[in-house]
Amino acid sequence: MNCDAVTRALPLYYYGELAAEVEEGVEDHLQACASCQAELERQRTLAAALDSRALAPDSTLLAECRHDLARAIYREEAPDARRRAADPWGLFREAFRSLWHPGIRFVQPAGALALLAIGFFAARVIPSWRVNSNEEPISAGSIVSSIRSVQPDNTGRVQISLDETRRRVISGRLDDQNIRRLLLAAAREQDNPGVRVESVGLLKDQCTSAETRGVLLEAVLHDPNPGVRMKALEGLKSFAADPEVRRTLAQVLLKDQNAGVRIQVIDLLITRQDPATIGVLQTLIGKEDNGYVRMRCQNALREMNASVGTF
Amino acid sequence: MLPDAAGAVDARAAAKLDEAAVIRAVQRGDADAFERLVRAYDQSVLRVAMNLLRSPEDARDVYQEAFLRVYRNIHTFRFDCSFHTWLYRIVTNICLDHLRKRKVRREEASVVDTADGPVDRMDSFEQEGAQSDPERRLWNSQLSTRIQAALGDLTPRERMVFELRHYQGLRLRAIGDMLGTSEEAAKNCLFRATQKMRAVLGDLI
Repeated sequence: MNCDAVTRALPLYYYGELAAEVEEGVEDHLQACASCQAELERQRTLAAALDSRALAPDSTLLAECRHDLARAIYREEAPDARRRAADPWGLFREAFRSLWHPGIRFVQPAGALALLAIGFFAARVIPSWRVNSNEEPISAGSIVSSIRSVQPDNTGRVQISLDETRRRVISGRLDDQNIRRLLLAAAREQDNPGVRVESVGLLKDQCTSAETRGVLLEAVLHDPNPGVRMKALEGLKSFAADPEVRRTLAQVLLKDQNAGVRIQVIDLLITRQDPATIGVLQTLIGKEDNGYVRMRCQNALREMNASVGTF
Repeated sequence: MLPDAAGAVDARAAAKLDEAAVIRAVQRGDADAFERLVRAYDQSVLRVAMNLLRSPEDARDVYQEAFLRVYRNIHTFRFDCSFHTWLYRIVTNICLDHLRKRKVRREEASVVDTADGPVDRMDSFEQEGAQSDPERRLWNSQLSTRIQAALGDLTPRERMVFELRHYQGLRLRAIGDMLGTSEEAAKNCLFRATQKMRAVLGDLI
C-alpha cells in the first residue's frame, strides 16, 4: 500500500472497520512510514478532542423524561379507557373483533369460551364501576387478577380462587386531607421515582405541617433520585432559617453525590449567615471534586468575609 | 471456546431470551413489561439525543416521541431484527428530522453568539471553573468553537453515522441497518465526516 491509500484508510483503521487483509496492509506500511504514523496520531488527537465533548444526560433529566412519558401514555390510554367504561358493550365488540384477527383464527373455539367468561366477569364488575362521585369510572383493563387455586369437583364444575387488585382514580383538591395523606404516602413510593417527583413537587407548595416538612427532609436526605431531592429542596426554601432544616442541609451538602443538589443546598444555606454554615462550606471545599461547586463555595465564603481554607 | 467467552455468550443468549419474553408481554399489553423495556434502553436513547442535538429540551422531545412510537407500534415488531436495531431506527429517524429542521432554520440548539464568536453553551457550562489556566481555557474554547463549526458542516446523515460510531461505539454494519442503508454507504459517510472535520480543525490538531 502506498501513503495515499493508507491515509485514506486511516479513519476506518482507527475505528477498526477495515477488512482484515487491508488492516494488515495498513499496519505493515505504518511500521515503516513516519509520515503516515504522524497522520494516525492526528486522527487520535481529533478523536480525543471529540471525546472531551461527550455529554452524559444527568439523572434528573432522565427522571423527568420517564415521568413525562408515563403521563403521555396515561393521556393516550385515558380517553380509550373512559370510552370503554361508558360503553360496556364496547368490551364485547373489542373482544369479538379480536377473535377475527387473521393471526388468531385458529383459537376461535377458545375465543367463544373467553367471550362467555368476559360476559360473566363484566356482569360482576359493571355495577360496581362507579364507586362514588369523586372517583373516575374504572375500566376492566385496570383490574389485575392472580389465580390462587383451581379446584374441580365431582359435578363437572370448577372453583377458581383469585385475588383482584383494582386500580382506583381519586381526584380532589390539594387541601383535602385524604389527598394529602395519599401524597405523603406517594412521596415515599419506593419503586416509582416519577410518582415521588410529582408528589414531592405538589407537597413543596403546601409545606405548612410538621408532617409535610418531615417528609421533605427525609426525601432530601435519603431519596435515591436527585430529581426528587431537588424538588424537596425547593419546598424547604421558606424554612431555610429553621435550625433542624439547616442541620439536615449541612449533612446533605457533605454527603450528596449530585453536584446540582449540592449547588442548590449552598444557595439555601447562604441565605442566612451563621458560623456553622461557614464551617460546612470550608469543610466542603477541602473535599469537593467539582470545580463549579468549589467556585460557588469560595464565592459564598468571600461574600461572608470568611477565609476560604481552614487553618 | 474459552470458558469465560462461553459464559458471556450464554449470558447474552439468556438476556436475549428474556428480552424476547418481555417484548411479547408488552405486545400482550403488560404495562410493567413496557416499563422494563423502556428502562433497559432509555439511558442510551437519551445519551444519543443529547450528544446529537446538544439540547436537553430537544433530547427530551426525542425520548418521548421515540418511546411513544414504540408503545403505539410494538404490535408490529416481528423479531426479524433485534429490538435494539428497531428502536434505534425510530430514534435515528426522529433525530434526523430534528437535524434537518435545524439545517433549514440554520441554527444549533446550544450555540450562542458572543463577542468571541459562536460558543456552545453545553461546553462552556462543563468547563466553567474547572480550568483555571487562561491559555488552556482559550485553546479549549477555540477548539470547541471549531468542532462545532466542523459538526455544522456535516450533513445530518454524516453526523448521525459519526455520532453512532464515535460516541455510541456501534459497528458500521449495525448503523447501516438502522439507517436503512448498506455498510459500505455508512463507511463512506464516516470517511467523509472525518475528512471534513480534519479539514476544519486542521491547525489545531
